[in-house]
Amino acid sequence: MKNKIKVFRAVHNLTQEHLAQAIGVNRQTILAIEKEKYIPSLDLAFKISRFFGVNIEEVFIFDEKTPTILQKQ
Amino acid sequence: MLLQSDRMKKNSFYLIFGCIALTLLVLFWYSVELHQPLLIEVAFVIGIVLVYLAKRKVTDIINDERDVKITEQATARTMQVFWVVFCAFSIGAVMEILRVPVFPRPAPGTRPADILPPRMMGYVQLGLLCLMIFLYVGFRIYYAKKYGDFETDEE
Repeated sequence: MKNKIKVFRAVHNLTQEHLAQAIGVNRQTILAIEKEKYIPSLDLAFKISRFFGVNIEEVFIFDEKTPTILQKQ
Repeated sequence: MLLQSDRMKKNSFYLIFGCIALTLLVLFWYSVELHQPLLIEVAFVIGIVLVYLAKRKVTDIINDERDVKITEQATARTMQVFWVVFCAFSIGAVMEILRVPVFPRPAPGTRPADILPPRMMGYVQLGLLCLMIFLYVGFRIYYAKKYGDFETDEE
């Protein structure tokens, strides 16, 4: 799952810490999502996109090549 | 007094945690001196309950979904390994209960040797406890790394 959180943060002039505080997660979680180390839940993905005032598809791009959890196991 | 307040900072929590751990350590040695294992057993349960109660009041530790996922996966993997080792040792204890006959049979009136002496069981349990802690810490570090805990920031 690719995402444009870093771009949206830059546009809104926000730090990872500010975004994390606004949506109630740790800064490390925002960093992990940006680096594509962690795929957020649907709930968190909606919170992030709502925070930027855009649709979820504008922030998160579904990549069909990314293996699912079952495929990884 | 700190436990009675509605909110708590994480530093206060760590202070309480340290005090409880120290008290448990003192009680452990005290129960060894008195040969009263029940004392430390009850104290341990009370201590852990107090830690959980205190942790619920901490306001500045954010436990988000990524933390929960890391904890869940580390716990699941620890249990997957641990139950196999635990069962392997437990089979020995079950044999002790069943008193499997040994050959050549002991002379009448003599007690057959214990497969796993009771004192040895204590060492085995201590080993299992240490194994569980090491497994959990190891898996936790692995999953924390996997989900980006040690990623460096460019900001």
